[in-house]
Amino acid sequence: MRLPRFEYLRPKTLEDTLDLLADHKDDARILAGGTDLLVRMKKGLLSPKVLISLKALNNLSYIQKNDGSISIGATTPLADIIASDLIQADAAALSQACEKVGAVSLQHYRGTLGGNVLQNNRCHNYNQSQFHRSGRQACHKAGGKICYARDEADRCYSTCQSDGATALMALGAKLVLVSKKNERTVDLADFYTNDGIVPFAMESHELLKEIIIPVKGGSSAYRRLAYRSAIDYPIVCAGVLLGATDNKIDKARIVVGAMGRSPLFLAQASSSLNGKDLTDNRAFKTAAYQAMDSAAPFAVHNVGSTLEYRQAMVEKMVFRALTAAATAAIAQ
Amino acid sequence: MEKISITLDVNGKLCELMVAPNDTLLEVLRDDLDLTGSKESCGEGACGSCTVHIDGKPVRSCLTLALEAEGSKIKTVEGLAKGDQLTDLQESFINHGAVQCGFCTPGMLMSADALLNENPHPDRTEVRKALAGNICRCTGYAKIVDAVAHASHPHEGCPDCRPYGRSESKGEE
Repeated sequence: MRLPRFEYLRPKTLEDTLDLLADHKDDARILAGGTDLLVRMKKGLLSPKVLISLKALNNLSYIQKNDGSISIGATTPLADIIASDLIQADAAALSQACEKVGAVSLQHYRGTLGGNVLQNNRCHNYNQSQFHRSGRQACHKAGGKICYARDEADRCYSTCQSDGATALMALGAKLVLVSKKNERTVDLADFYTNDGIVPFAMESHELLKEIIIPVKGGSSAYRRLAYRSAIDYPIVCAGVLLGATDNKIDKARIVVGAMGRSPLFLAQASSSLNGKDLTDNRAFKTAAYQAMDSAAPFAVHNVGSTLEYRQAMVEKMVFRALTAAATAAIAQ
Repeated sequence: MEKISITLDVNGKLCELMVAPNDTLLEVLRDDLDLTGSKESCGEGACGSCTVHIDGKPVRSCLTLALEAEGSKIKTVEGLAKGDQLTDLQESFINHGAVQCGFCTPGMLMSADALLNENPHPDRTEVRKALAGNICRCTGYAKIVDAVAHASHPHEGCPDCRPYGRSESKGEE
């Protein structure tokens, strides 16, 4: 498959990058690892006039421990995150999630954490070859007025299948977005527009610079289900964070991914765990069922497998993630 | 679209060539440098048949722009053997019959080579993990996994491993 034509720019400094972004805005796309962007370009889903490569920007690839947080540069390869003891110890869910992204030779060396968080929403009616799509009318995401995933839907229901974003939301991560004029920090939970067509609340002249994970103790875990363990995107995934004092849970965050237009933080299921014992499997089961009930209505049949199966598996994934996090918390 | 002059370090040789921004590394390797060992199959990073090494790490050449590979050391399947002298891994693939149609083999070799460079004695689980991104549609994975796991040291129980299996002097009999 040939790539469409574009102009290739490789700025050497962050300032130059932001200048270029400010000049080209919507005509430009950022090229980091390219494992998502180039595929979409090959399929004709996107044809930017300009690609701005981050290859020459070495100072965006780092993992750094600060007081009470870990900051990760946006172009840090997934392989570095998996290999990091720091992430393993303080943000296990992220480590486990990155390990699951694609296959070793595909994503781990080329793919970046920033790219994983910013990977566009997917739908098996939309992410297809040009030929496949040419057979029928354009859907919402392709600029039309039809949704093939849900009858008479008035909007796009494409699904956020990012492993990294689900784990990061469970960890309560923040994103640092920079543009030529300013720099802002936004909670990952507030970063989504709830619109499948433009899923991220981010201006076209902004660049994701850094991901900040607060470290406040507690242990986290990530579990996912996919057709094949390598290559495929998750069809259901769950990231959880459990904080406990004296084996009593005092903080819980349950996030379910690959079910909606963004990872879903399930407040009710999370708060049901407050005050419960770390060994209380029944409480985990109840929370997992609650998570399934809350997450199920968001999903539509658009990422393979049947909707019923994916909905049922939410409970399994959340339960597995909770028990894994609890086991890790007890071992601490 | 303007072509850009770049120098690629492929298998230890410096190659100067003109590439378009939208040329992938795979296209340049196959069409301009005639290194047709790396194959294009899916073209979207799922199958692994285009795997090459960039700075010692296996990556998909179909999802790497040629321009992005500038300044890195690229190794393709042609760069494994030294002249006619095959590597242990390649010998092992032949001995184990780990080749059916052969289309996935260059990618399998490159992924396996990267694994063996880091871990010369992998167990089967590690091999399967390292090869998880390479698809073989002949579904001959068992032989391939054996070939990689036994590449650096012949396995006593394995009938395909020399010197325990078929004798070297088979041709003379």
